[in-house]
Amino acid sequence: MTKSANLAFRLKMAKQKAEAFLRDEGITSLPVDPFAIARSRDIEVEPKPGTAGGVSGMLLRHGDVFGILYATHIKSEGFQRFSVAHELGHYFLEGHIDHVLPTDGIHTSHAGFVSADPYELEADQFAAGLLMPAGLFKRALGRHEAGLKAVEAMAELCQTSLTATAIRYAELTEDAVAVVISTGQIVDFCFFSDTLKSLPQLSWLRKGTAVPAHTATAQLNGDAQRVAQGDRVEEDIDIRDWLGGTRSARASEQVFGLGGYGKTLTILTCPSVQAETYQDEDEDDDESMTERWTPRFRG
Amino acid sequence: MTQESAPSELFRERLKAARELRELKQSELAERAKLPPSSIAHFEGGSRKPSFDTLRRLANALEVTTDYLLGRVDDPGLAEAGDPLYRDIGKLTGTDREMAKNFLEMLANKSKEKKK
Repeated sequence: MTKSANLAFRLKMAKQKAEAFLRDEGITSLPVDPFAIARSRDIEVEPKPGTAGGVSGMLLRHGDVFGILYATHIKSEGFQRFSVAHELGHYFLEGHIDHVLPTDGIHTSHAGFVSADPYELEADQFAAGLLMPAGLFKRALGRHEAGLKAVEAMAELCQTSLTATAIRYAELTEDAVAVVISTGQIVDFCFFSDTLKSLPQLSWLRKGTAVPAHTATAQLNGDAQRVAQGDRVEEDIDIRDWLGGTRSARASEQVFGLGGYGKTLTILTCPSVQAETYQDEDEDDDESMTERWTPRFRG
Repeated sequence: MTQESAPSELFRERLKAARELRELKQSELAERAKLPPSSIAHFEGGSRKPSFDTLRRLANALEVTTDYLLGRVDDPGLAEAGDPLYRDIGKLTGTDREMAKNFLEMLANKSKEKKK
């Protein structure tokens, strides 16, 4: 297995470990309460004072007693719950004793997909799986209209941040969507849903690339005040405006300023892609089947 | 830093030693700790590493401390003295360090109360 395939596998397992944990504990409804889970294991959980920045959380141990300190300088309850769930990841994931305990009783974390350390990434994935387990998430998602509305509804249901929810949404939805987080004119990260990936020759928006010029996102991001006050814009676009590719597809671009941290959430929804797939399924046309099942090699 | 064995390496040996001390078969220990029967063989053989949660269950089932299982102390009944060492100290800001210290003191007190 290559190194990156190995990491992808570890991350998937971490998420599944959290989902299996919920099943074993008989937790079958949302929101999942990471504080209650900590209590069930006799882990002390305490907030750091609201003014203190620094690490998002710490797992501490003294002898046989464990504790979690979590940051509250980011006011979002979703972020705080994620931070606690992340520390629970260090507590419940196999092998993390080597990561967090070389010499000390303290482990500190920066939760929220900002670290490249595999153990931290695993703990993030555990947190995502714990607070947004695939089965429950998908079932609830089915009731909502694709796009920002679905993300907002799911964030409210799971009590998770919009960013973390949007990432999980891209992973689990059957709609053709892309989720982009950007700061100013630069892309922080981007996730495609599986259905969107069926569009031929899309270009991946890598971390650090520029937000496509003349898009609603580029415009909103050009005005820090609008981002800070949580403005939102919706525009009809062609998916090629954002992602290139060889097939034109009508899409919607929804942009939402994430407040004082200067970040923007963009959700591109491409309803026609799914509609076309369904249409294909209705047709009993050998030729289109052949076309569809011929692998395409990306240049 | 000196080249020490990883905690999970020391754990393998300590788990076996503690199990033999308590005269338990692997399957008996698994049952006491509410773990799958084959898990102890995996841990002792090194093919699986425990989580903190599992570590604590095993320590309880064996009536030893987690510090013993981690190789921090050599007496099965002892916990490490309450002087935490800070890894990545450079990464902790002054207030984080202070808060971690206070919190650890609280945990230490809780640990003492438990033993009473």
